[in-house]
Amino acid sequence: MPDATPAPGVVSPRAAQGAQGEMPGMRFIDPGALARIGNLELVARWVVEGFISGLHRSPHLGFSTDFAEHRQYVPGDDIRHIDWRLYARTERYFLKEYEADTNTNFMVLLDVSGSMGYGSAGMTKLDYAKYLAASLTYFSHRQRDRVGLATFDDDLLEYVPPSAKHLQQVLYGIDRAVPRAKGALARPLAKIAESQRRRGFMLVLSDLYEPPDQVIAALGPLRDAGHDVVMMQLLDPMERTFDFSDAATFEDVESGARLPVVPSRLRGEYQRLVAEHVETMQRRLGEHRIDYQFVDTSQPLDALLFSYLLRREQLRTVR
Amino acid sequence: MSLSFLAPLFAAALAAIAIPLLVHLVHRERKDAISFPSLMFLARTPYQHSSRQRIRDWLLFAARCLIIALLAAAFMRPVFARQASARAATTGGVEVVVLLDRSLSMRYGDRWRTAQEAVRKRVAALSGDDRLTLVPFDLRASAVNDPTADPAALRAALDSLSPSDAGTRLAPAVALARRALGLSRLPRKEVMVISDFQRSSWDLGDDVAMPPGTTIVPVDVASGAVIDRSVRAVEMRRDPDKPDERVIVSARFINAGPAVKGAKVSLEVNGRVASERTVDLPADGGGAVSFAPVPVPVDGVPARIVMDPDGLPTDDVFQFLLKRTPTIGVLVVDHSDAAPERAIFVARALAIGDQPAFDVKAVRSGRVAPSDLSGRQLIVLNDAGVPPGLGAERLVSFVRGGGGIINALGEHGSAAAWGARGAALVPGTIGAPVDRLGERGAVLGYLDRAHPALSVFSGARSGDLSAARFYRYRPVETTDGVLARFDDGTVALAEQRIGRGRILTWGTSFDGVWNDLPRQAVFLPFLQQLAQYAASYRPVKSEHAVGESVDLSGTGGVTAVSGDSTTAREQRYSVLAPSGARLSVGGPDAPRALELREAGWYEVRRSGVPNERPRLVAANPAAAELDFATFDPARLTNALGPAGENVAADSLPDPVQQLADQERKQSIWWYLLVVAALVLLAESMLASRVSQRRLQPR
Repeated sequence: MPDATPAPGVVSPRAAQGAQGEMPGMRFIDPGALARIGNLELVARWVVEGFISGLHRSPHLGFSTDFAEHRQYVPGDDIRHIDWRLYARTERYFLKEYEADTNTNFMVLLDVSGSMGYGSAGMTKLDYAKYLAASLTYFSHRQRDRVGLATFDDDLLEYVPPSAKHLQQVLYGIDRAVPRAKGALARPLAKIAESQRRRGFMLVLSDLYEPPDQVIAALGPLRDAGHDVVMMQLLDPMERTFDFSDAATFEDVESGARLPVVPSRLRGEYQRLVAEHVETMQRRLGEHRIDYQFVDTSQPLDALLFSYLLRREQLRTVR
Repeated sequence: MSLSFLAPLFAAALAAIAIPLLVHLVHRERKDAISFPSLMFLARTPYQHSSRQRIRDWLLFAARCLIIALLAAAFMRPVFARQASARAATTGGVEVVVLLDRSLSMRYGDRWRTAQEAVRKRVAALSGDDRLTLVPFDLRASAVNDPTADPAALRAALDSLSPSDAGTRLAPAVALARRALGLSRLPRKEVMVISDFQRSSWDLGDDVAMPPGTTIVPVDVASGAVIDRSVRAVEMRRDPDKPDERVIVSARFINAGPAVKGAKVSLEVNGRVASERTVDLPADGGGAVSFAPVPVPVDGVPARIVMDPDGLPTDDVFQFLLKRTPTIGVLVVDHSDAAPERAIFVARALAIGDQPAFDVKAVRSGRVAPSDLSGRQLIVLNDAGVPPGLGAERLVSFVRGGGGIINALGEHGSAAAWGARGAALVPGTIGAPVDRLGERGAVLGYLDRAHPALSVFSGARSGDLSAARFYRYRPVETTDGVLARFDDGTVALAEQRIGRGRILTWGTSFDGVWNDLPRQAVFLPFLQQLAQYAASYRPVKSEHAVGESVDLSGTGGVTAVSGDSTTAREQRYSVLAPSGARLSVGGPDAPRALELREAGWYEVRRSGVPNERPRLVAANPAAAELDFATFDPARLTNALGPAGENVAADSLPDPVQQLADQERKQSIWWYLLVVAALVLLAESMLASRVSQRRLQPR
């Protein structure tokens, strides 16, 4: 039997139902329903608006623009930020600074390798990743972050630089992404790290069919550049359970390699290897202060977002 | 004998043997491939993955190849082709025998003309080396010419023929044809059968093979449905008002074709219309009509039933001899001491008889006189012993002269009642009565149903004599002429012959006291049959069917009891046939049987007896000939076909068809399929075992 315990960081459908029970009025959206909408922006808006409406009760969530401090005016500062009320009292020029007044870059690094095109229940991992990327992009855009996009397989394919005005380009780029050839993280991520001069938020969406050491090495340049890196590993349920019945030849969609196997004979061993891989990823990435999130493509999208952002907020509070 | 295939193109299917090979090596792997994101984890599993790079199970592979080969061979329809032992030659003369049906049914429509045309065509097609024999047949068959190719002689022989009134029998004609062809030395032989192929003409079980190389050419001249009405039978019974003078004639009709309403039918007696009726006949059905009573002279008159003529006029007239129903004179003698009601069963049972009728005179044994025997053919001694007024000698003489006696042994039937002189009238010694009342009566344990006296009970559901209970009977000690026994083996009915007459001894009474037989339904036919047999009665047919033979020596009916036993063994008869032909029948060592070959009246006169009124014999078409149901000529062709050969209907054998027929008979494909199924079963079991073995982790 496969390992019934979800990998760390994974919100299983059962857990999602538990979250639903904890938050009356919250209704999670079935990925299949999203797939039927078609318009990516509409999907993102639907997910995010519903998601935000469910957050009204939580004071801990959300990146607000709270006042932080005043500092003295120096020539060259934008005079629009001068606190004229304070000037009236002190006749000195002070500028108001807020915690969130400086918008951050939000980049989606989307893996479009061939393996992302797999889906056992009508929805591929890439489709799910696209909804996820679009939703978070839309969410970030609402917070006035600059949003950008990079798609890659074993090289950088499409790049939309972060900008507050690039929402449509990003959504368009996400929408047109299709599964490509063999994937590898190192090369495209190194290129992206070199291209980003400003620190930002890097969301990497991939199925991570690479050894953990290679993944760590590939994410190293982003982390070293000071980016806040979030790694989301997407797997189809069949990739975890390997619930095939008949003996058959399995073909690697990226390499084309074939392997005749009898699923009933090696299902247990396979499940053990996958669970071990996920656990190793979480542990090793955590050691390198890279946030890791496991994504099961059968779980509701907004439930995932809720769970993930809640955890991010908790971590942020702790820090 | 060589192996051939009807569908050799299916041999291409043998190429399918490559399929399992390819399955093993290439195709199956590609066909079953399932796309998967990555084999990273699968490749790390420690189990051995299957490999199809080489054939490892040669037995399995051979089984699969064998299955395909068997299926391909079955679809190729193999046949062991048998070469005809004597293949018909394609050159040389042809010995042709034409069997031409000239039976009565050939008179219908234009059948005869069509048949003649077929003969003429065949005659015209004869070449110089060919020879043809024309064999017309009905019930008989005979060649009308020697084998010849002379068209003029053959046409003359054909023109001399006409349809007869007789029925159809193919067998004599076929036998004659086989004999003629067997004698021929010509390389090719042919039998042309021209007929309407009535079902009654050929026993489909007959298998008369022609000589090898003979071609059978059936020519069916029956076309379309037959519409025909016919008179099939006549029945006469006494008029209840004047039973001694008049009879009522009933006729039965058969209609083949659509329904007929108001068909006129008439009864002609001695050439004059005596009565007319109309009859409605349903489609393909029958009907009957009774005419008004007509007076009948003692010796009978010619009569006929006539209905409106149709396509076959011959069967629209039915001739018969109109005569009074025969009567058997019976003298019933009861014992003087017996109660009067004891004779009632015998008298009433015989009074009911009509075919023949019984003229019963009942007397007491003490009052019977020799004059009572006048006009009597039968004496029933109903528990009367030997009547004193007659005496045993007179009774023996009566029997010797052709009369009959039925002895019923009751209370007064002891051996003493017969005396020493009357011992000749009983078949052995008569014992004391056996009482079976305590056993609820005895039953008849044995009955000689094949004997004419009891043949009325030979058929199924013809009567159950064993239902009668016998409480007392007198055992008759005899071993000869036993016709029935009780369940204890005691003789119940015995026959003895004296001169031309017969004596039947019944071991119990007819009075309903010693047994309940008179109260059983079988009593009437039982007693009447005994009476007819004892009186030596032979029914006389008022009409005959064409094809039957009539024994001219017997007069039939009731034989007059006389002391004259002279037989005319050398009597010769002169017969005038309906067509006017004169025939001579009989004579020294010659059968005195007249074969009826025409429909109509035959007049029979004894040669050497001038001014004698001729005896009339009515002949009508046989009922079987009037049944127009046919059979498929192909069945005759198959039956006549030479052994081991297939004979085409109108040409030389088609080799492909011949091969197909042989293949159909041999059905080798069926056996191949069975073997393939067995191999498939073995393959499944073998494959299952191999699969299980491979799936075991190493």
